[in-house]
Amino acid sequence: MVYKLKNINVTYGQKQVLHHISCSIEKGKWISIIGQTGAGKSTFVKVLKGLVSFQGDYELNGQPVKQDSKGNIGVIPEIGFVFQYPEHQLFETTVEKELSFALKHKDMTKTVILDRISTILPMVNLSEDILPLAPFQLSGGQKRRVAIASVLMTKPEVLIVDEPTAGLDPINRTNLLQQLKNWQHKTKGTILFVSHQMEDVAQYSDEVMLFHRGYLMGHFPVETLFLKKSSLLKQAGLALPESIQLLQLVEELSGENIQVTSCKEADIFAKVIPILKARGLDDE
Amino acid sequence: MLTFDHVYFYYKKEKPIIEDISFTIEKGEFVCIVGPNGCGKSTIAKLIDGLLMPKKGTIRIGNHHTKDPNDLMKIRQRVGFVFQNPEDQFITTSVLDEVIFGLENICVPREDMYNRALSALKVVNMEDYLDAMPHELSGGQKQRVAVAAIIAMQPEIIIFDEATSMLDPEGRNQILAIMHQLHSEGMTIIHITHHMEEVLQADRILLVAQGKIHFDGKPAPFFQTIPVENFQLEQPFAVRLHRLSGQAVALTADWKGAIRSQWSTN
Repeated sequence: MVYKLKNINVTYGQKQVLHHISCSIEKGKWISIIGQTGAGKSTFVKVLKGLVSFQGDYELNGQPVKQDSKGNIGVIPEIGFVFQYPEHQLFETTVEKELSFALKHKDMTKTVILDRISTILPMVNLSEDILPLAPFQLSGGQKRRVAIASVLMTKPEVLIVDEPTAGLDPINRTNLLQQLKNWQHKTKGTILFVSHQMEDVAQYSDEVMLFHRGYLMGHFPVETLFLKKSSLLKQAGLALPESIQLLQLVEELSGENIQVTSCKEADIFAKVIPILKARGLDDE
Repeated sequence: MLTFDHVYFYYKKEKPIIEDISFTIEKGEFVCIVGPNGCGKSTIAKLIDGLLMPKKGTIRIGNHHTKDPNDLMKIRQRVGFVFQNPEDQFITTSVLDEVIFGLENICVPREDMYNRALSALKVVNMEDYLDAMPHELSGGQKQRVAVAAIIAMQPEIIIFDEATSMLDPEGRNQILAIMHQLHSEGMTIIHITHHMEEVLQADRILLVAQGKIHFDGKPAPFFQTIPVENFQLEQPFAVRLHRLSGQAVALTADWKGAIRSQWSTN
């Protein structure tokens, strides 16, 4: 499905938190949603899921979504939403019940549910051994993955993840991001990744939407934003990933324009480190 | 001075959380405690403050023992705690009240309260928000108020238990700057964190895993000798750059300064 927003405005009380947002979300992309705290990122993803009322037009596959008189559209079931610290929402007595909860209420049979559990669990690197355990017996990283898996159980087309790695140790972080990437590839799903971690954004995204003070400053391929339009990030009060800062520093010192086409750290290191080494070797 | 002397802790005997940990932190040190999720870092913090009692061994702050109920009140005045989630901490309805609340609990004379609260709020740059209500503040601002509430109580040691992990980069940098400023004024800082960039700037690192201390020393040898991936950690950018450049770029948190100075000398 193609999700299209046209001239969306959102007001909380007297305060307008989103101004004239127009965009189109296409299938199979990792789209990072970035901006300072209060820039409108969370409100934007809530509009997409149908959780807040708004003025403007929302189209699904070219068909307008009906709004009631207050500007509500009701939730869009094809979009899965993983809130911040989703493990706080775990409430069932076993992992199996937790994962089954949403589907049980859609009248799916136990066989179908168990079958789906066995496809979803490996995606987040969990084994079926944990199914009978109570969620509180799990480690922090495992709880987070159970919470994400319970959303994946509904087979969303689009997965919204709001700061999914907050509070995890570095290896759990990297593993979780890789699992999300694998889910995206395997299901041809779309990920909307709300994050403050510019290193992760540069590493994993296909596209980036940049928010500032309730406005959408741009929706770019990730390379365009970090390699060609990095001044926009500064305008929006965001720091550049360290790898991009390194690239810019070496460009400044050498006076050369270094040709890079990817903003992944390994690709930048591959271009920049030979220059640094050549410089360092002058010493001896 | 803070001393752990052969400390053991467990909830269930067969599942030890802390096993025979000993270390001493001197006044004025800046120590980072790192380790994987669930390694016992927060348990150590709670043991320091007497929120948990060791099953074996002793914990002393100066001459006070956490096990002695008469000492415990004194220890809690000397050790301040800043937690992960600023939302969990705010209990009053205004910034000023929040700082005053702590002072009431340690029976500061009423006439001193306002000045102590105000000067603490100045340290964290929140003096313009005395009457602000919690919902009007960002996460970073709330966390700064939490720090001010601790500073006002004039502790000797402040423990930051993943106090930067829920903040955006701006909020995190502000809290880090406050931590370093307090340290430069003589405060003992214990910083529990997963952010390896923050670790590079500490005086000393304690690596905790499976209830034991696996490293105790300075950041440079830590990253040079410890395979951090085995402990669910990763090398910060500056260390990756140092390694991959064949050490052409010196190992320091200020890698930009290192590159600049090298460029100008060559």
